[in-house]
Amino acid sequence: MFSVHNYPILELNNVSFSYERGNNFIYNLNFSAGNGEFIGFLGANGSGKSTILKLASGILKPSHGEIKLWGKSLQNYSNKDRAKLLCYLPQLLDINVPFTVRELVKMGLYPYDIPPLMTIEEAIALVGLQEKSESYITTLSGGERRRVFIAMILVQGAGLLLLDEPLANLDIKYQIELLRLLRELKEKKNISILMALHDINIALHFEKVLLIKDGTMLGMGNPETVLTGNLLSKAFDVNIEIRKHDSGRSYVSYEDTN
Amino acid sequence: MSKIKFLFLISVLVITFSVSLFLGPRIINPFELNGTDKEILLMIRLPRVIVATLMGMALGASGAVLQGILRNPLADPYILGISSGSALAATLGLLSGMYMFSNFSIPLTAFIGASIVSILVGLFGWKKGGLWPGRLLLAGIGLSFLFYAILMLIISISANEVTRRALLWIFGDLSIAEWSLIPYGFLFILAGLYICISRAKALNALMLGDDFAHSLGFSVHRERLLLFASVAIMTSASVSLGGTIGFIGLIIPHIVRFLAGADNKKLIPLSALCGGAFLCIADMIGRTIMSPAEIPSGIITAIIGSPYFLYLLRKKDVLST
Repeated sequence: MFSVHNYPILELNNVSFSYERGNNFIYNLNFSAGNGEFIGFLGANGSGKSTILKLASGILKPSHGEIKLWGKSLQNYSNKDRAKLLCYLPQLLDINVPFTVRELVKMGLYPYDIPPLMTIEEAIALVGLQEKSESYITTLSGGERRRVFIAMILVQGAGLLLLDEPLANLDIKYQIELLRLLRELKEKKNISILMALHDINIALHFEKVLLIKDGTMLGMGNPETVLTGNLLSKAFDVNIEIRKHDSGRSYVSYEDTN
Repeated sequence: MSKIKFLFLISVLVITFSVSLFLGPRIINPFELNGTDKEILLMIRLPRVIVATLMGMALGASGAVLQGILRNPLADPYILGISSGSALAATLGLLSGMYMFSNFSIPLTAFIGASIVSILVGLFGWKKGGLWPGRLLLAGIGLSFLFYAILMLIISISANEVTRRALLWIFGDLSIAEWSLIPYGFLFILAGLYICISRAKALNALMLGDDFAHSLGFSVHRERLLLFASVAIMTSASVSLGGTIGFIGLIIPHIVRFLAGADNKKLIPLSALCGGAFLCIADMIGRTIMSPAEIPSGIITAIIGSPYFLYLLRKKDVLST
């Protein structure tokens, strides 16, 4: 029996996918994400992190295997019903349309005929952008833009967030801010978050990590068991060691082999 | 935009419509109508003003939708090759002498030409079960060049009368407006407006990108196909009513975006209203200031609109898609 916390809200069973016929990019992938889990997908560029998130969100269709959302095949959901349960945030947010912050956040209500509980004002307040609610998205910084889209998916009210490298191109300050915000949301709303990452130091502080290389899973579990020097070296093709500060915090060290 | 502002815009359209009816080479006093006035009003002015309003509405709304689905600020309804296709079909109709059979024949031929080009662009833009913005744009440009080349070839070797009539079609000519065409134009343009206004939320989502639109619960390819169909219907109907009139479809949506924001729920209806009012005014000026000669409406729309657009570009700090 699963506890509510561990109930697998997303399951990928023997999932394979190819962009070109006969050339598998993702191969026989199996994993599940439980309710309220915060999982980091770690791998080198082109390892398949984004593709897995797009498969899990239904943007791409697997060539083999099955993806289940809350125990039901993802393909059997209508677009609107799926959008109420699952939300995907792409990596690139190069949007130059002058929507205001409020207009964008309001789009989170699109899947609904009757609005869900969280109001647009609450969502904007949660990401700390009250004073910029009438500003154009085109005038905001990269970090603020990410927060606008987080507010939008909060209004959308989905219990599962699939975020494709949300920390990419952000200064360290904004990375810390965004991670703190996501952790708070996870605690307060019991939202499950799957996030693609490429920074090993950040992955070291996740509860659960999935390490990917060439579309296959090298390991899944807590960072101490998965993010070993051996597996990381294999995943990134660089000699990597995990060391510990005197404080007990782990950090990554690599060797330039050239 | 508040309801008051929206009602204000509707009032502006109504006033523009009314003023266009009574002003022209002959100024008509609505309170003292004689027989000639009545005839001019009912047989010439009214159909012409209705056609200008319908065409302007179709072009304004189509431009807004197309800039959204192609995610390209330079898109206008004619970029999809619809103008060249309809002009070529109309010219072929003129060459074959079809215009002698009925007033319907050339507009109908233009409409069929525009529809065929829309379908061709759609087919070229289709891949892996859906329409792709980049493919649509390139297909439109490619077909446009091809049809214009054929059109120019035909014009260069054809008789003067056919050339003159074909050129009027290419540059737009509201003097060909007449009652018999209006119900069909009205029906098609209203249908196109209904489709695109009812899909405004999907268009907002598509402007953020296909992945966002999917995440927000839209079927990306279905929505894009519906929106493309609405543009094709409206533009084809507009071209068959009075030829191709440039500028409105490109610039009006930008001006409205500057003034009222990018939300397509407001942008599409407002672009339609402003496009309709603007073409009415342009046509009224075009047929009045050098009377009895006429200046094509497309020239007036560009002369009035461009400086205002450039002024807005300097004043506002947002450039939009």
